[in-house]
Amino acid sequence: MTIQVLAWQALSGLSVGMVLFLIAAGLSIIFGALNVLNLAHGSIYMVGAFICYSLTSTFAHLAGVFWWTLILAPIATALLGGLIEIVLLRRIYAQEMLYQYILTFGLILILGELCKLVWGVGYNTVAVPWPLTGSVSIMALPFPAYNLFLIGCGIAVFVGLWAFMRYTGLGQIIRAVTHNREMVNALGINVPRVYTGVFMLGCWLAGLAGTLMPPMSVVALGADMEVIIGCFVIVVIGGLGSLPGAFIGSVILGLLTAFGIFVAPRLAVAFGFILMIIILLVRPWGLMGKPE
Amino acid sequence: MILEVQGLTKSFGGLHAVHDVHFGIEERELSAIIGPNGAGKTTLFNLLTGHMRPDAGRVIFKGTDITGRAPHKICRAGIGRSFQRLNIFPRLTTFENIQVAVFSTQGKGSNLLSSAETMVREETEAVLDGVGLQKKKRVRAGLLSHGDQKRLEIGIALASQPELLLLDEPTAGMSPSETVETTELIRKLVKERGLALIFVEHDMNVVFGISDKIKVMHQGMIMFEGTPEEVRGNEEVQRVYLGGKKK
Amino acid sequence: MKEFLKADGKRRRLWFGAPVVFVLLPIFIGEGWLSLFTEMMILALAACALNLMLGYAGMVSFGPAGLYAVGAYATAIFLKKAGLPFVLAMAAGPVAAGIVGAVVGWLCVRRTAVYFALLTLAFAQIIWTIVFEWYGFTGGDNGIVGIPVPAFLMSITHYYYFTLVLVVTALTLLWRIGNSPFGKILQAIRENPGRTEFVGIHVRRYQLYAFILSSAFLGLAGSLFCAFSRSVFPGYAHWIKSTDMLVVCLLGGIHNFAGPIVGSVVYLYVSKLISSYTMYWMLFLGIIVVLLVLYMRGGIMGYLSEKFLSERGELQEKGAGEKA
Repeated sequence: MTIQVLAWQALSGLSVGMVLFLIAAGLSIIFGALNVLNLAHGSIYMVGAFICYSLTSTFAHLAGVFWWTLILAPIATALLGGLIEIVLLRRIYAQEMLYQYILTFGLILILGELCKLVWGVGYNTVAVPWPLTGSVSIMALPFPAYNLFLIGCGIAVFVGLWAFMRYTGLGQIIRAVTHNREMVNALGINVPRVYTGVFMLGCWLAGLAGTLMPPMSVVALGADMEVIIGCFVIVVIGGLGSLPGAFIGSVILGLLTAFGIFVAPRLAVAFGFILMIIILLVRPWGLMGKPE
Repeated sequence: MILEVQGLTKSFGGLHAVHDVHFGIEERELSAIIGPNGAGKTTLFNLLTGHMRPDAGRVIFKGTDITGRAPHKICRAGIGRSFQRLNIFPRLTTFENIQVAVFSTQGKGSNLLSSAETMVREETEAVLDGVGLQKKKRVRAGLLSHGDQKRLEIGIALASQPELLLLDEPTAGMSPSETVETTELIRKLVKERGLALIFVEHDMNVVFGISDKIKVMHQGMIMFEGTPEEVRGNEEVQRVYLGGKKK
Repeated sequence: MKEFLKADGKRRRLWFGAPVVFVLLPIFIGEGWLSLFTEMMILALAACALNLMLGYAGMVSFGPAGLYAVGAYATAIFLKKAGLPFVLAMAAGPVAAGIVGAVVGWLCVRRTAVYFALLTLAFAQIIWTIVFEWYGFTGGDNGIVGIPVPAFLMSITHYYYFTLVLVVTALTLLWRIGNSPFGKILQAIRENPGRTEFVGIHVRRYQLYAFILSSAFLGLAGSLFCAFSRSVFPGYAHWIKSTDMLVVCLLGGIHNFAGPIVGSVVYLYVSKLISSYTMYWMLFLGIIVVLLVLYMRGGIMGYLSEKFLSERGELQEKGAGEKA
């Protein structure tokens, strides 16, 4: 086990982690402000991935098509999110957790089947966009440049979001809503519109993840299920409702899975769940969350 | 003495909710605790019933130290309690509300196979009778009037067959007629069942009407303790709480 | 028996009629339907087991399928790998699930509400991972197939009767537990855990008992399904299967003992029906689930009992009017 291999594994784990971070960040922000555990968040991600595939394959002859998709696809998923929030989600904010869970599960089924209807059951690929097609030499081992770009994106989005939450008026409103709904309402701010905005932001993040992932992997049905549980793990470890928590959680999960393979190759997947259990038993509000 | 409280103290982040409280309660004694909001009355109750752990001090019940024990154990030791915010089982019927408490008292909780409907009827009916809810026993508790729900709460506390009953604002939110009924009920409970009873109240008519002893709390401490006449006559109490009015 | 003798004529016909119908069923319907009925019975048992926690004790679990799979795999392994007698293997299911439930439950009840639910989810996923990856023991993602079952149970009709007897017995037990003092205390815990604590109940311990009982019955359902399909797969433990069970309970109504039973019949029937028409049947299932949560939270039994109560109310008013 050389340092190079370790570094390579770490970076590999991080690139997956960053994609998960984008989805988990959305999930966490949505839970923080709306108090809803959106099981269908992985489905939004999958829709984003399919849209990425469609746009890049349909307009493959255009130069820089991937970069255009990177801008357009998340907007599409954000709009989809807005639609879902207005039509469905609003009605269950006052409901108990069980009903929210089941409703968003119904959404998974609906969105999943709609994807099946439109895009079929096959595997689809998206080419790595120029100029990231090569590899970068990390300690004399080649590492895909695109994956590095992914890690960079994740960090950039985290910093951007954090700054947005902290320093902009809208970000502060979102944080206020997370802490005290009624107060914000009493201040004359249109809370329902804030909720819609927050949900759209979360879906935008999921769509971004869905667009960034395909060059690294494949676009296929079932991505929603694969991803959502990992996001739950992240959000629990980091703290429900905490953005820095989602980031730390993603890094931890990414590294845990990448290195877990050395320790117990087949049970590495379970490490995340074990950590999740430990956190829930010892410090349920997560590493960065606040106890109620 | 059935209850002895020594040096009970509880702080929340530097604020003394309850500070060095000492008092004793005799058997069959009807005591009231009064004081402005935030004086620490409910916190005191919480310390007595194990819902909070004191930072210092002891609670001795019937000669045994019960400080910091778990609530269900304190209940089993013989202390019953009603709560400030309504604490009943809304979707169970009035009958079932009491029945559950009786099951617990009689240790029938481990019975998994008998039909609950026909069990402990007598004891449950007796308690229902005691709080005057016999006619409403088939009604879902959540649908009862506020006054009835409060009485149901007292009934649930009674079903645990306590020797000391703690009532937290038993007449809160009640109409004048309901208040009179409840006051009578409390008086009857002490007389007929030989309970010791401590209640927190804001309605001074009730307090001065039935208490043997009154404790006045202010800022976490008991600033005065005495019979109703003594309390009425005390100038400091008048100033702090009674607003100078004499009743 | 007392209830049977007390009941009026209409009820008596139902009480006597129902068992007769079930016993004579195989004469009238084909094997395909019998097979479906058997599946319904097994799902009904699993759902009622879950509802002991969900509807009675108010404990929302996201991972019942984990315990169900423990039962199924225990029976599968006992039968196929260890070649043990059938009765022993069937008993192993609920026993293994009960033991796992005791360990998992002891940890899970330390938390409540959303944290409890997430804990159950995490444990179920660990079970799924073990089952999925431990190729040597559990067959990994291939599962275990060709599980040997006594010859006389190979026939669908015979297995129907076998399941009928076991499920009816188990459901009767669950019914009695629900109506016992223990069951009432569970309901009180659901309504107000704090108050229940202060009538002298160690709430956490009762929640653990509910968890263990629920797990054991889930394990029995798993064993039954294992012997029914003669195969087990990791999917039995997946969180999707768990959510299916939750949907079944909600569909039928969680505040009624018969709710999960009704839910499983309707759920399986409707899924089979829709999937025979279209390969996108999950889309319709999703729509049904969404409509269920939005408009019929009490489930089918909740809806029916509201209707029945309001009709009864009208009759009583009429009666009073006539007397006056």
